[in-house]
Amino acid sequence: MTTALLVAVLAAGGTALVLQRGPLRLVIGFVLLGHVGTVLVLASGGGDRRGVPLLGQGPEDVPLGDPLPQAFVLTAVVIAFAITVHLLGVLRAEESAAEDDEEDADVEVEQERRARSRRAEQGADGPSRAREVAADEAGTPAPGDDGTGAS
Amino acid sequence: MPLVVLLAGLVALAAAAPVLGRALGRSSCLVLAGGLAAASALALALAPGVVAGRDVVVSAPWLPSLGVSAALRLDAVALVFVLVALLVGVLVLVYCARYLDDEEARGPVPALLVLFAASMTGLVLADDLVLLYLCWELTTLCSFLLISTAGADATAAGRQALLVTVAGGLCLLLAVVLVAAATGTTSVSELTAQPERLLGSPLALPVAALVVVAAATKSAQLPVHFWLPGAMVAMTPVSAYLHAATMVKAGIYLLVRTSSVFAGEPAWTAVLVTLGLTTALGGALLALRDHDLKGVLAYSTVSQLGLLVAAVGVGTPEALAAALLHTVAHALFKATLFMLVGIVDHETGQRDVRDLAGLRKVMPWTAAATGVAALSLGGVPPLLGFVSKEYLFEGYLTAGPAAWAGPLAVGAAVAASALTFAYAARVAHGAFGGGELSHPGLHEPARLFVAPAAVAALAGLVLGPAVSWLSPLVAAATADALPGEEPPEVYLWHGLTPQLGLSALTLALGVLLFWRRDDVDRLLQRPRLPSAADAFERAHSGLVRLGDAVGAPDRAGGAPAQLARLLVALVVLAGVGAAVLGPQPARVALDDPVGWAVLALVAAVVAVAVVVRSSLVLVAVTGLVGLLVTLWLLLQGALDVAMTLLLVEVLTAVVVVLVLRGSPRRLPRTPPRRAVPTAALALGVGLAAGAGTYALTGRRELSDTGATVLARAEELTGGLNVVNVVLVDLRGLDTLLESVVVGVVAVGLVVLGRGPAGRRAGPPGPDPVTEDLVLRVGTRLLVPLMLALSAFLLWRGHDQPGGGFIAALVTGTAVGLGHLAGGRSPLARTPRVMRPSTLVGAGLLVAVTTALVPVLGGGALFEPFDPPLLSALGVTSALLFDVGVYLLVLGLAVAAVSSLDAGAPKVDGARHQRAATAPGPSGEAPAPEPAGEGAPR
Repeated sequence: MTTALLVAVLAAGGTALVLQRGPLRLVIGFVLLGHVGTVLVLASGGGDRRGVPLLGQGPEDVPLGDPLPQAFVLTAVVIAFAITVHLLGVLRAEESAAEDDEEDADVEVEQERRARSRRAEQGADGPSRAREVAADEAGTPAPGDDGTGAS
Repeated sequence: MPLVVLLAGLVALAAAAPVLGRALGRSSCLVLAGGLAAASALALALAPGVVAGRDVVVSAPWLPSLGVSAALRLDAVALVFVLVALLVGVLVLVYCARYLDDEEARGPVPALLVLFAASMTGLVLADDLVLLYLCWELTTLCSFLLISTAGADATAAGRQALLVTVAGGLCLLLAVVLVAAATGTTSVSELTAQPERLLGSPLALPVAALVVVAAATKSAQLPVHFWLPGAMVAMTPVSAYLHAATMVKAGIYLLVRTSSVFAGEPAWTAVLVTLGLTTALGGALLALRDHDLKGVLAYSTVSQLGLLVAAVGVGTPEALAAALLHTVAHALFKATLFMLVGIVDHETGQRDVRDLAGLRKVMPWTAAATGVAALSLGGVPPLLGFVSKEYLFEGYLTAGPAAWAGPLAVGAAVAASALTFAYAARVAHGAFGGGELSHPGLHEPARLFVAPAAVAALAGLVLGPAVSWLSPLVAAATADALPGEEPPEVYLWHGLTPQLGLSALTLALGVLLFWRRDDVDRLLQRPRLPSAADAFERAHSGLVRLGDAVGAPDRAGGAPAQLARLLVALVVLAGVGAAVLGPQPARVALDDPVGWAVLALVAAVVAVAVVVRSSLVLVAVTGLVGLLVTLWLLLQGALDVAMTLLLVEVLTAVVVVLVLRGSPRRLPRTPPRRAVPTAALALGVGLAAGAGTYALTGRRELSDTGATVLARAEELTGGLNVVNVVLVDLRGLDTLLESVVVGVVAVGLVVLGRGPAGRRAGPPGPDPVTEDLVLRVGTRLLVPLMLALSAFLLWRGHDQPGGGFIAALVTGTAVGLGHLAGGRSPLARTPRVMRPSTLVGAGLLVAVTTALVPVLGGGALFEPFDPPLLSALGVTSALLFDVGVYLLVLGLAVAAVSSLDAGAPKVDGARHQRAATAPGPSGEAPAPEPAGEGAPR
């Protein structure tokens, strides 16, 4: 009975987490669902035999647990860990990609700002020249016109 | 043996074609033509024996368990089609040597043409249905690739050709499977020798229907004819080969081959004659309607194939002989016409008859060859086309089963042939006739360019009067196609027969149609015909849209939308399970007060995890759940699992904290409108999982396998920790593969951390030493202890709780701690030997070697053995394998820690701090925005 209820609580909690927003909740939800698998497979060995399956080392009267589900679950726990870490890795890669985008955008804004201030400085020399420069920039960019180009 | 040489030579020639093309340019096509000529010579050398009834046979077992063999058989039917494919191939490749430029000759076209010849040869030689099907699909692929070489314009046409012919190919495959199921053999010669084996089975009808569909798609019968005119976008040599000798003739071959089984069945005759003559008439009308020279020829092929299908459908020896003869005649005049139209196109850049005129004045030889081929197409005596058409008429006259069937069939054939004469005349007259020259300044093309077409035209001219030369071959082929029937002889002059009258009528009608060509053209242009190609495209795009709609939910944003459907399916599945599950054994009653306490705690903690909005609290709470589950595992007596889970929890927490450094601390709020469905689905899933667990566990005794393992573990392996024994001895392969999964994830993490998206997650820079004194000092003390502990756990794992998985997780935790503490703590940087890829590689090597060593000694995989030298120290093979597992899992742990480390907490203040401490050029206070470095002022 406790096994069934434990599975129910963990499954409900894991589901509630994966269905909410946020990648961290997704990862944690999967951890909880992993526990569900662990508990469930272990329960298939039967909840009434609870001796640790070490030969000749426990009290005689306690029946030893079924070692097969335990072995299955042991590797499953490690694989669940691998999946969790992999999810975290994807999450991390996505985040840094987003940061890259943000930084690229920042750099572009900065370059734009600098180009504008330079144009304003040149404009102070005389309105006519500023118009020339503007026309030049609109047309074929001069070879020396670097720094402002969207590289 | 000669057949193997023939096929292998053709394939080798195709493989050599690209090399030759690069070395020789377009002249390489002449070499390839020489190769095909040699192959033709080989086939011709075998011809006398084959005509005399001695088939050339070779066979080797291919899939013996299915009774499938790689069997080739050259009988007279195959010989007709092989000669057509190879000899026309020679002409087309010679033509290519002038049609292509050097650049195109270096491309894939010549190689594909040779491969096409090889596939077609294989198809007609195949004496096993599976091999036949394989070559059938190869011709489909070759034609698709050849059409696609025409570039972007050819995309739609190539796709149509591929989809239609592949659909037919699948029908053929299904037919092959049904034949194998009905008769137990796939040998063509066995099946044709004993038609009753298939005819006696209820599957005969579906097989016949599938064969007809396959042949109709391949041979472009109405209404799936449209791919063939569409394929005109390919360059002219490709069209010539596709139309004259290969691909479309494959359908005819299939029908001729299956005639020995199905000929004489009324339904077979009715379907094929109706299909064929409808196609013949429709194709001829469409051809007369077209103004593009290649278009006319394409529809002409459709029409002529219709005549062939109908003749095969009649199924009498006369009709089959006529079909075989007309196959040869069609190959000759159609190849000629395509090559000549290609020359016109090549020289003038025009293919529309309305834009061309009078070219005979500048290209007399080209015009003459075109005229001869057109006369053959039109069925004018004494050319080969006339002879074969006479025999076709004779064949249709015998069409059963009703008395009216023969005259009706002949009537349709005469009408189609009259139209054929009209469009043949138009092709010749339209381009070369007329008074005015449309393109002055042209001259006769190079001799080599015209020669192949002229040779084919001449062959059609000579073989008419000399048709008796072909007679033995045609008679032998007819006898092979219809065993037990008396084959007819073919000759030119039959006396005053009904066929002669029909031919005269055909010519008279044809001349009339040509005479009144302007009126005919107006009449034909008037109706707007529904285009089968458009209908196909509409159906195709509809299908694509349907797939799009079906797959739309999978592209819905976010994981929850995708997971929700799976979870709903789980609940539904549980409902179905509850409905169909019968009564179960009684539960074993158990008093479990501690379990209830653990359960209550888990419920409370999970509730917190679901609603909390701080990421750190969520991580901490998850760790708590892990600990409680560990406790529960301990209560169940699963000590090894509990240790593993405990370590995994610790390591997960370390990794999550590493990842979260610098991430927002607050989790996003879930919108209220999503809260209710989420809660409902969570409750449903919880209920389903809990009910399933309740219904299906705790009701059985110890499994037999479990009992056996417990009883014999020590005796078999010498280990006392049975869980570890299962892992490393009894189910070693399982464990090995699972460890490989773990290693794969480790490598994947390294790649993720290195890729463009995660480049900043690479090797972390010099971390600031943590200010947490406890962590710093604790790490220094703990790391060596943990390393020693893990070695101890690994060592004793076979007998006591421990083992490779657990030991690796302990080491991994030590690595994680070192990373967290940073600075000069031990393991703050990953040592070279502990790079994940090194660990995974070494682990795999050790584990696989340990598994394989007993095999070398003749034993079983994973059989325990005593490692030399090491066994004196008490090292067993199980321990060695466990070391492999240890290294693989450690690889994952290290990869997780080092790849996922987000580096030092990224606080906005850090940048300002650096700016402030950096020596400023003018001692200014740090600007709110960093000054641009090196910006020209």
